[in-house]
Amino acid sequence: MSKPRPLLELASPLPADEAVTLEFDGAPIPARAGEPVSAALLRAGVLATTRSPKYRRPRGPYCLRGECGSCQVRIAGQPNLRACTALARDRLAITPQNRWGPRGLDPTGLIDQVFRGGIDHHHLVVRPRIANAVMQKVARTMTGFGTLPDPATSAAAEARQVVHTPTVLVVGAGAAGRRAARHLEAAGVDVLCVDRRDRATLEVAAPGPLPAELLRAGVFAAYPHEGLWTAASDPLEAPLELHTIHPRAVLLATGARDPLLPLANNDLPGVVSARGLHLLLTRSGSRPAVPVVVIGEGDEAAILGEALGAAAVVGPEEVVEIHGGDAVDGVTLKGGRRIACGLVALAPIPAPTHELAAQAGITLRFDGHGFAATSDERGRAIVDPAMPQPWTLWVAGDLRGYMGPTAAAADGEAVAAALLESLEGAR
Amino acid sequence: MTRRVFVCRCEDVTLDEIDHAIARELTTIEEIKRYTGLGTGPCQGRECMVPLARLLCERGLAEPATVQPFTARPPTEPVTFAALASAQPPYTGAADDDKDPEAAR
Repeated sequence: MSKPRPLLELASPLPADEAVTLEFDGAPIPARAGEPVSAALLRAGVLATTRSPKYRRPRGPYCLRGECGSCQVRIAGQPNLRACTALARDRLAITPQNRWGPRGLDPTGLIDQVFRGGIDHHHLVVRPRIANAVMQKVARTMTGFGTLPDPATSAAAEARQVVHTPTVLVVGAGAAGRRAARHLEAAGVDVLCVDRRDRATLEVAAPGPLPAELLRAGVFAAYPHEGLWTAASDPLEAPLELHTIHPRAVLLATGARDPLLPLANNDLPGVVSARGLHLLLTRSGSRPAVPVVVIGEGDEAAILGEALGAAAVVGPEEVVEIHGGDAVDGVTLKGGRRIACGLVALAPIPAPTHELAAQAGITLRFDGHGFAATSDERGRAIVDPAMPQPWTLWVAGDLRGYMGPTAAAADGEAVAAALLESLEGAR
Repeated sequence: MTRRVFVCRCEDVTLDEIDHAIARELTTIEEIKRYTGLGTGPCQGRECMVPLARLLCERGLAEPATVQPFTARPPTEPVTFAALASAQPPYTGAADDDKDPEAAR
């Protein structure tokens, strides 16, 4: 293995009192206390967090904001944690997952070369049965997710349930959610705003001040039949908490995330989300240490290109292929032009984060870029009449179709005002 | 690296494999999910659902006005068994069915 090439660098020297050391696969990696672990990994040029399940290709951090699965690693004895949402602290031990054999020498990497035409898993070694049995055993040993957590680090004994009964639950503290929660707080409403992101990330993720009542937890389900929403605290923070929430009204502001752009070799380590990268740079006081190529759609691709100091900004239709091995090293465009780079930043038009809205029974509509939550003009959600509604449901911001932070903040304010009016009318 | 166009990175589903499914007349999001495993990995469709919906619409296999995603079941965010196991009655299941959920408030 050649020495990894740093992909990011600090914009200014790290003060001694903020410097900590992580351990990645036993090797020391310098970090800033409290920054996302992914920032430290990219600065050290460490990309190999996992291998892909079928073709055994190397994979690294991609979305950089807690949406995808390719930076899942074992941290402090707990499996399947995302390096992009875990926060750095001294001696934090991180190990890659889904790896087989010694570090850097995983022989299963050859599968990508051997099966150049693809793997038909419906038929490969299904017969004879004896060969199938052997194949299953090999595949199970080689691949898969993390093993069980270390008993010594298990937070199970201290885990606790917390019951909340706010008047309004606001899900998401991005541009729309924080503005809505602030508006309701100012009117004296008992409002609980929940977001899985840490406070320092939220401060740079969107404009505007954060609400006073802000809970860091990932809302993982809506149960209309039980009148219940549930959220879980970050597994690296003690105590581990399960939040059960019974609100009278819910304002969903879950925002939007990046879909994948189907391009050749769009999975190589070093292919990242442009919006995620921009957020990570701001959050961690870093800048790119290698040329960046932005491949994007819509008006915002050029803006992101400028913000990232990109060597080039191109549309997906111009791209022939992304190149690289253990890390990306270039992009070939139609006409044969090849641009050398160390990071490829994808900027698709974001897709609404629709899953919780769907669970709550809100009708979805495909807007060409994602599945948007439907509502009346005031933001009151349109719901499936067959689904019980023990609350009133409202939607704001990018969840109604990507609109960007400025428009989302204004939308959060307007929907919160309509919600407030309905609460007062019901009194 | 072999040249591959991924639609779903979690489960290594390539554009070729989607084409293969379509050639077998599996042409809806649900059918393609079941045949290829698309959307069943750690991201649960966050990355792949939209590229697939766009592809089906572009090829005239789905209508933008009616295309819908596959079911989004809980959990939509990672949650540990330890956190789930901390639930107290009446949140713990069948044995508590006769109890009033209001009692938890």
